[in-house]
Amino acid sequence: MAELVGVYAASHAPLIVRGWTDVSVPNQESLTRSMTELGRRMKAAKPDVIVEIAPDHWVNFFINNLPSICVGMGEEHDGPAEPWMKDCPYKKIKGHPRLAQHIVETALERDFEPSVSHHLTLDHGFCIPLWRGGLDPLPPIVPIIFNDLEPPYPTVRRCLQWGAMLAEAVRSYPEDIRIALLATGGLSHSIGEPTMGEIDEPFDRECIRHFEGGDERRLVDFLNERLPTIGNGAAEIRNWVAAHGAAGKRGFELIGYCNCPEVYVGCGFASWNLGARA
Amino acid sequence: MRDYWLSKLFFDLQSSPPLGAEYRTDRKKILDRYPLKPEVRKAVERDDVAFLAARVNPYLLRFYFVVTGMPENEFLKKVRNAGAETAARSSHG
Repeated sequence: MAELVGVYAASHAPLIVRGWTDVSVPNQESLTRSMTELGRRMKAAKPDVIVEIAPDHWVNFFINNLPSICVGMGEEHDGPAEPWMKDCPYKKIKGHPRLAQHIVETALERDFEPSVSHHLTLDHGFCIPLWRGGLDPLPPIVPIIFNDLEPPYPTVRRCLQWGAMLAEAVRSYPEDIRIALLATGGLSHSIGEPTMGEIDEPFDRECIRHFEGGDERRLVDFLNERLPTIGNGAAEIRNWVAAHGAAGKRGFELIGYCNCPEVYVGCGFASWNLGARA
Repeated sequence: MRDYWLSKLFFDLQSSPPLGAEYRTDRKKILDRYPLKPEVRKAVERDDVAFLAARVNPYLLRFYFVVTGMPENEFLKKVRNAGAETAARSSHG
């Protein structure tokens, strides 16, 4: 049977690539340290496949057809289309159709109704943490897009349930392979809004404390109350919530946090200790 | 509320660098292809960020002004003012 060998979360601010030279040296060092450590942990887990949750930044979907959650079932996906991601080494990204099929079947059996795609383009949200983490060559990816960009969003509680269901799907997959889960996005940021550029570090720190605390109800209540009051980019914390659900709501460990105004994002990086199941 | 054709215009421009280049050269030619409401088209033509911000996803708004080449500081200033302008407009009916 397959094994869930690691659960991780990372921010994916575009300006980490597009505006790196404008980032202060201390913040460059902080981000590099965190992304390198995240990559080191992921490589050490030796995953045969990575299930990755990220939003779609208007690359695959538009408001004429906007799934809440879409599982990528294709044999291959395209690398990022953004012109400023041209140096990203992932031009074509191998998928894992059998695992993706199993995830979709498990989801439907458990009364979740994901959309599916047999060919996605994986934008910077998917690729920056993998690239900057040094995952080259890249294992096959099963991409799962959560709609964190255009309201109405999936509920925080449903994202937590999605994570638990994904862990079940991984553990019931019949091939003897190692599977990691990476969720990307967040923490606080605001894009294209009057609050653009605002980072709410107290919110981010409190959010991290709720992940560390492991109390599901408090985490969900906190996010339900606070997400509507801060910048739109924080909606991506739903992806972290799914990772938290996959990890059994325990074992969160912050790798690093950087309040980085140069990239407009409160950048967080984390992994979950899957042995911590108190 | 989302204005569909305004959203479609912004989406198409950020999806296609050649279309973005064409738009920078001849905005009218591209705008003629979209059935924009007159007031929406006027807002596009005069870069009325506050008006547009109320009708399109914020990420698409941001990408659009990157495509048009508006300097970052100018966009930040306009989008930050958009909240106040929107509030002022609604308070004046």
